[in-house]
Amino acid sequence: MARKLFDICWQIVLLWLVFRCGVLLVGALHLSLPGNVAGMLIMFALLASGIVKPVLIETGSGFLLKHFAFFFIPISVGLISFGGLMRQSGLELLVILFASAVVGVAVTGATVQLLQQRRER
Amino acid sequence: MSGVLLFTFFVVLTVTSYLATRKLFITYRHPLLNPVFLSTVAIIAVLKGTGLGLDDYRPATEVMTYLLGPATVALALPLYHNRKVLAAHLLPVLVGVMAGSLATMAAALAAGRLLKIDPLVLISLGPKSVTVPIAVEISRLAGGDASLTAAFVVATGMIGSIMGPSLLSLCRVRSQVARGLALGTVSHGQGTAVALLESETAGAMGGVAMAIAAVFTALAAPYYLPLFLQ
Repeated sequence: MARKLFDICWQIVLLWLVFRCGVLLVGALHLSLPGNVAGMLIMFALLASGIVKPVLIETGSGFLLKHFAFFFIPISVGLISFGGLMRQSGLELLVILFASAVVGVAVTGATVQLLQQRRER
Repeated sequence: MSGVLLFTFFVVLTVTSYLATRKLFITYRHPLLNPVFLSTVAIIAVLKGTGLGLDDYRPATEVMTYLLGPATVALALPLYHNRKVLAAHLLPVLVGVMAGSLATMAAALAAGRLLKIDPLVLISLGPKSVTVPIAVEISRLAGGDASLTAAFVVATGMIGSIMGPSLLSLCRVRSQVARGLALGTVSHGQGTAVALLESETAGAMGGVAMAIAAVFTALAAPYYLPLFLQ
């Protein structure tokens, strides 16, 4: 238990360092890319090249990903300032979200299946 | 209440609501019992009931979301584990995810303009199919609002995971690769969870789609979003 907690802590520090590298890189190169995306890509490159072994970050990553949804709660509470908007256009927004999700699911599904069928022929 | 006391109260409140609603969700497995949705409603109710405002809650937010950066970096691990499925289906993955991401963004933004939605809200709608931490950053960079985007992302996750599988069957999409990619592209983590219930292949493709869609949308958004805002 104590061992696991220790692993989680230092592995999160490692993930945090890569995150900071991503933020600094994006800032230095003036990219219009979020720093956390750059961090994720750096980590993927480190894993793919074998510089970082998966076990080195497995426990910490597992913990953060298991409770990923927790971090969305404090952000969503900010919605309290949009009560007026929700009352006024809540239904319209719901229609937009629903319609665009239908379009996205259908387009992705159909495109991939078509590409796979063409390849099989 | 003093600042420290208020801060502690909000952290305890948020963690308890999360753990309680998570338990509820794990027990009943219904998409409407989404822990983020239920906890957010509960916390907003407490704020309204006690007459406290967002400014009182904000210090707790800053501390609690501090680990979101490292958590996003951790997403590289599932992508790495799925690298072989990614390599085996590279063309369908790239083309499918890009087409789906662009199509769902275009549909949302065009519909929003048609319904005369406020530009701030419209920008915040743009990255609604991307996993929350990345969607929030895309929104911020484009001049949108983080809370609105987070809400749109969570709602899209719920919508896609509820109707996605039936819609795919209706469109006669039977390939597990295609179904997983469609669910992950539109409904990120929540879609991936549903894809995982269909099959291991669909689940792996969902995870891959979620990561690729996030990176692609982050790269495309600065050029793509302005097209709908003129």
